[in-house]
Amino acid sequence: MMLKWLLLTLVLALSALPARADELRLVEVLSSPERTETLKHLVAGFEARHPGTHVEITSLAWGSAFEKLATMVAAGDIPDVVEMPDRWLSLYAGNGQLESLEPYLARWPETRGLNERALTVARSVADTAYMLPYGFYLRALYYNKAVFRQAGIAEPPKTLEELRADAARIAQLPGKSGYCLRGGPGGLNGWVMFGASIAGGNAFFHEDGTSTLNDPGWVAGTSWLIDLYQKGLAPKDSVNWGFNEVVAGFYTGTCAMVDQDPDALIALKARMRAEDFGVAPWPKGPNGKAYPTLGFAGWSIFKRSAHKDLAWDLVVALNDPAGNLAWNQQTGALPIYTAAAHDPLYAGAIYQGWFAELADPDVVPTLMPTYLPGFAYFADSLVVRSSQQALLGQISPATMNKQWAAYLTKARRKQAEGVK
Amino acid sequence: MSKTLSRTLLPRLLHALALAAFVAFALFPLFWLLKVSLTPDDLMYGEGVRLWPSRVTLDHYGAVLRHSQFPLFFRNSLIVSTATGLLATAAASAAGYAFSRFRFPGKAWVVGVMLISQMFPLVIIVAPIFRLLAPLGLTNSLTGLVVVYTAFNTPFAAFLMQSFFEAIPKDLEEAAMMDGATRFQALRRVILPLTLPGLAATGGFVFTAAWSELLFSLMLNSSAAVSTFPAGLLGFVSKFSVDFGQMMAAGVLALLPVGAFFLLIQRYLVQGLTAGAVKG
Amino acid sequence: MTRRALALKLEPYFYTAPSLLLIAAIMLVPLVTGLSYAFHDLILLDPLSGDFVGLDHFREMLDDDGFWTALRNTVVWTAVSVALQFTFGLILALLLNRPFPGRGLVQALVFLPWAVPGFLSGLTWAWLFNPVIGPLPHWLQGLGLLATPENILSDPHLALWGPIAANVWWGIPFFAITLLAALQSIPKDIYEAAAMDGAGPLLRFRRVTLPLLAPTIAITVMLRTVWVANFAELIVVMTKGGPADATQILSSYIFTLAFQRLDFGYASAVAAVLLLLLLAYAAAVMVLRHAMTERA
Repeated sequence: MMLKWLLLTLVLALSALPARADELRLVEVLSSPERTETLKHLVAGFEARHPGTHVEITSLAWGSAFEKLATMVAAGDIPDVVEMPDRWLSLYAGNGQLESLEPYLARWPETRGLNERALTVARSVADTAYMLPYGFYLRALYYNKAVFRQAGIAEPPKTLEELRADAARIAQLPGKSGYCLRGGPGGLNGWVMFGASIAGGNAFFHEDGTSTLNDPGWVAGTSWLIDLYQKGLAPKDSVNWGFNEVVAGFYTGTCAMVDQDPDALIALKARMRAEDFGVAPWPKGPNGKAYPTLGFAGWSIFKRSAHKDLAWDLVVALNDPAGNLAWNQQTGALPIYTAAAHDPLYAGAIYQGWFAELADPDVVPTLMPTYLPGFAYFADSLVVRSSQQALLGQISPATMNKQWAAYLTKARRKQAEGVK
Repeated sequence: MSKTLSRTLLPRLLHALALAAFVAFALFPLFWLLKVSLTPDDLMYGEGVRLWPSRVTLDHYGAVLRHSQFPLFFRNSLIVSTATGLLATAAASAAGYAFSRFRFPGKAWVVGVMLISQMFPLVIIVAPIFRLLAPLGLTNSLTGLVVVYTAFNTPFAAFLMQSFFEAIPKDLEEAAMMDGATRFQALRRVILPLTLPGLAATGGFVFTAAWSELLFSLMLNSSAAVSTFPAGLLGFVSKFSVDFGQMMAAGVLALLPVGAFFLLIQRYLVQGLTAGAVKG
Repeated sequence: MTRRALALKLEPYFYTAPSLLLIAAIMLVPLVTGLSYAFHDLILLDPLSGDFVGLDHFREMLDDDGFWTALRNTVVWTAVSVALQFTFGLILALLLNRPFPGRGLVQALVFLPWAVPGFLSGLTWAWLFNPVIGPLPHWLQGLGLLATPENILSDPHLALWGPIAANVWWGIPFFAITLLAALQSIPKDIYEAAAMDGAGPLLRFRRVTLPLLAPTIAITVMLRTVWVANFAELIVVMTKGGPADATQILSSYIFTLAFQRLDFGYASAVAAVLLLLLLAYAAAVMVLRHAMTERA
């Protein structure tokens, strides 16, 4: 009797499980509920124009998206179209997993409307377009106007020297710190921006292929940031902070300045009044130049997709001027189309910080060496671990930079061998 | 008078105090979870360290129930955990019965295999399992999770069931077999009804474990239609922000069924284990 | 042999077969596959990798600071967590073993943490330790344990205590349940006899309770140790192994190696070492337990 009941429940339970059958699979990796909604909307338009085609959208949680997609692809469970962040591109393109988009771009009428930077980053691996970017993430300085007023500071800092002085003044306020340091995952951008701005140059390699990161200039740059932390101008627990902690630290006023991409606007607009924060160009270093990092993300097609033409049509639906604009309303990313810079989306006061950066010849947007094999591991593990050691005083900045340079030099050599 | 008072009252008082401390320690984090889930977003940080916010709201619960996919995730978790609980308990009671009633060649090996299966970090078999299940269509499926969870939980459940069976005198089924029943019939009609508390406890243990499992749910399944609740919780952590209020509200909601279930079975767990434990 | 005798001989295998087949297919075969990676240079997604490299990974481990740090942390994490879980679990079991009004409810409440998913426990405790949104740093300061209300999770000397606290909270019920069951199965007359001989409560505990509990203690401590050593969820959620690897244990290190560095070969080699260490430990406990039961 009991056995029968047991079996019956099981059969019922198992038959309730959904089956799978889809023509195109689209994977979103930087998921948020709002973005997924927009994606569904764009995909619905695509499906209406391609009767009989169904697109299955898979939205991975960002925190585990990297290991998830790698496991799927390695096991042969391969999607057709995938959202591709800059730092994963070398891994998938370098290992021959991605389809070259060149033939499609050659035929596509909108290719001419793309700005030069979009095509450059699309071809950042092996000079072949393995992705079509949908937007750029340029770092700028967010500052908490309320805390600045409290500390009696009128304007955001224009130079790193001013940034430090402002941070010191803010740190006098009870329970406040000047700078929201990101010592945990994703901290590499900060290290590169301070490093390059103090070093006065954003080259990662010498001509001979060895890394510049342990040159005195870069060491001075990372030492500068470490000193900022050790002098108490950043919150003590920021050694462990990732994106969410940094942003939470900023909007709670725990720390008053943070380097961030436009996508942080999404979280901030929901939690801060517009008059309480501003976005300013990244402060300049001793040589009068600033080097904010420039990131990007886009769409890629897997080589093993069985419906590549259809997959390209889907990419077009997501990334033609109309689709791209709708999408970037959710991502906050800067435009890939020359014409889009004048769109009302980017006209608000908040975006002026970024357009001022782009217009200023002394601001040099800096692409990180995401084209190197093993860059994802470098950024997400090696740098996190060694920079935390350096912040905590367990190793010297010079030792840290030496480790970084050694890894990058090796990766560069591996890449050169791969090309041969 | 005062001497007898101190002799009987003082230990009782200490006993009560010590228990109160344990209850407070057990409940305080859960209280905090509840507090965060009821705190409106604008007070989340400003009144972060207060024991109770100046205003409470059910908005997070409303959002979780109406605007997120959590009802779906709950359903999936319920299906997976129930199926796993039933299957693993069935398999484990058979194995536990054999461990408790038979001596047979290779028994030590069988026990050894089960012990070894508990001794390595499961991370290492994520990729091989994915490769094994993908061609069978068992990735991105609730059935796949049930199969995997059943395998993970059967060894400990078998040891538990063994100790429950040890508590039941052998004479009982021997008597039934004398009356002409086969051993299997005796097991079904005489022994299993007696181990009901044990079966409930084991089922509850497995259910709880399956309800909580994150790694494989995350790695094997990707579409929302087959996500379980712990993997769904991660969805509140996007690259752009964390909705802690909703996340904690979802957490509280997820605790209700498993907490209630646990309250029901915990007395059986102690009861059922009692006789078998020392021999275990 | 008659058919009936054969059937009787095969009966135990019939009972164990379903479990055994399932465990073999889902856990052992993948385990063997996983361990075979340890001898190969296997990088996920890299089509050029996969060569046999013999014991290279094990030699690499000798010079790998990350491995040794994680090994040290694993020992501390496991030993401290299990010791505290056990001590408090035993105290709780002794308290609950005495009848009092409302025992059922109290028992249910103190066992509740076990029902909380590990991920959610980690998250909750991470909140409690955050000075902006949690009370613990302020309490610790009030008690004089911290000079300022700071987050211990970002202090390399204290960080491991965060996940340990969460783990103790989460694991006390397991010990309390098993030990309470064992306590309740000790016949009352043994205590009465001991009391008649004039033994006080402490002496009775040492002479009667502990020896009778010893076999249960050995087996639960062993199982628990193995689980805790492999249990990385709390650490991953609360500290991600940081700051500067201060809370990295072997199983979280294996996760990083496999899914951040995508170096499945080396990750498997570290996992193999962990498995061997745990096997050796389990064997030692079993031998000890055997010796103890023999003596008793």
